[in-house]
Amino acid sequence: MSETDTYYIERCLDGHPDDFRYLVRRYQAVLLANLAGKLGSKDTAEEAAQESLVRAYFNMGKLKKPESFFSWLLGIGDRVAKEHQRKEQLRRQREIVRSFSEEAPAPEFSQDYALESAIADLPEAYRKVILLRYYGEHSCNQIAERLDMPLGTVTKTLSRAYAMLRESLQQENEEIYEVQK
Amino acid sequence: MNCAECKELLVVYVEGLLEESQKQAVAEHLKDCSACRVEAKELTRLHDRLVANGKVLAQSDLEDLVLNRIVREQNVRLKAAGRAGAALKLRRIIMKSPITKMAAAAVIIIAVLFGISQLVGPISVTTVTFADVVEPILNARTVIFDFVVGDEETSPVMHEIVVGTRIRRTISNLPNMTSIIDLESAKILALDTEAKTAVYIDIKGSLQEKTRGYIEFVRKVLMELKDSPDVEELGEQEIEGQKAVGFAGPNEEVKIWANPKTAVPIRVELRLGQLFVILKNFKFDVPVDDSLVSMDVPPGYTEEAEVDFTKATEQDFIESLRIWAKVLLDGTFPEAVGTENYMKQVPLLGEKLAPLDLPDDEKKQLGMKFIRGMLFLQIYESQGKWHYAGKGVKLGDADKAIFWYLPEGSETYRVIYGDLSVKDVTPENLPK
Repeated sequence: MSETDTYYIERCLDGHPDDFRYLVRRYQAVLLANLAGKLGSKDTAEEAAQESLVRAYFNMGKLKKPESFFSWLLGIGDRVAKEHQRKEQLRRQREIVRSFSEEAPAPEFSQDYALESAIADLPEAYRKVILLRYYGEHSCNQIAERLDMPLGTVTKTLSRAYAMLRESLQQENEEIYEVQK
Repeated sequence: MNCAECKELLVVYVEGLLEESQKQAVAEHLKDCSACRVEAKELTRLHDRLVANGKVLAQSDLEDLVLNRIVREQNVRLKAAGRAGAALKLRRIIMKSPITKMAAAAVIIIAVLFGISQLVGPISVTTVTFADVVEPILNARTVIFDFVVGDEETSPVMHEIVVGTRIRRTISNLPNMTSIIDLESAKILALDTEAKTAVYIDIKGSLQEKTRGYIEFVRKVLMELKDSPDVEELGEQEIEGQKAVGFAGPNEEVKIWANPKTAVPIRVELRLGQLFVILKNFKFDVPVDDSLVSMDVPPGYTEEAEVDFTKATEQDFIESLRIWAKVLLDGTFPEAVGTENYMKQVPLLGEKLAPLDLPDDEKKQLGMKFIRGMLFLQIYESQGKWHYAGKGVKLGDADKAIFWYLPEGSETYRVIYGDLSVKDVTPENLPK
């Protein structure tokens, strides 16, 4: 588990597809956090995370800089999420047309959907740091190394990300309050 | 330290990353400043919330799901790649798998399947060395297994008890039907355990041919596997609730999962043309009472007139499509045809026919036509030279081709249209 991404990517390309499991283990939470915030339902997020990982596996040969696997994977995740959202939109439109249709069962949200959706709304640079820190279990030093930035920049980014998260969580609370009133 | 300075450091403080001197400075300030204390408390809360959420998500288990999908996808891609002669890289990935050690085991595992076919029908083994290897396994007197055609989730399951050349078969969606199949005399004894009726069915011809084709197929795969480095090791996996080691033959025609210690098969997947078949829940050498596979009409049963399934013609198939559209659906052709789809429809057809104001004899004829239609299609299913395009087409629509196939030895296709007329068409003029 302590090997670098590059090591596992090379193992996969060299005919050991099973080693992809270590990369899945390493990044599943990161992907899920990112996708759950965008997609809402827990099941959809899991489905999208799987889809993203499978796509990543089959396109690994095209990855020029293996050390940037994480960013690349997030990019794939974002594309998959967009596709899902588009499909969902179409489905809803169709549902509206078929106005007699019964109400669809409410999707099961993940435990802390508010937090995840706040993360999903962060600008990319901040989102990456938050995801790596809390969902990828990286220390700030490791993040600095991975994203190739000084430690000071990482902690500043982290502080700023906290501020943004608080703001958007607060907004949401207020909205809920409004609705309740 | 003032509030502005403190606030700037708070996140790093909560993260525990401050140097000792700074940490103390912040702690000092927090003691005196309630505003900053509130701020620190809120940040800690957010921090804990992030950590907790991260822990929850880290518990998800996508590993096996993702790897299974990769294996499946890779198989599909390999097939496409093989056809196009492209994607050499992917091929290289698979070829490099360390299969040598397991290849020997694979032969024995497939040999067990081979053993089943040996029990099912006549075949001559020409390679002596191989026969030596197979010999002990061939001694299995009985094999019991479940047999699924098509989609495992939705298709009916056939439970098979094989003793010598006889098979006792029950089907999950036809609970009161039991068939005893005798491959030697090419007859089926079909028993309705509720109505207590018995019917002999003659299956010389198509089904007999098919059985032979099936054995030939297994044999071909087996021989290929024995000599080629093309056996793909699928690794260890949990299959049917137990540890299993898997192998795939070239082109995914056969996939076998077996007990890694005893090499006894747990699950076999076969692709015969467009027919997908799963065999599972194997039991070998369980004592079976001979009466279970007896071809005699059991006491208390009334014997009805013998049924002839020896010839399944194009006309039977066309009639089955007509029945499908008219009786089973509201005048449109089904989404798909295939053994799998036919098998699902058989009990429904019984239900739909029951209330109709028709003589019983006529209902029976309709049912038989439907089954003959399935038998006809099966001949072409295993060869893969047919195509169905009738989804959503209305019965009577002469402009739409709904089905075409290439008869054995023919150079032109037979194309069936929505009005159930048929034309001979050259391959280049086939509908797109």
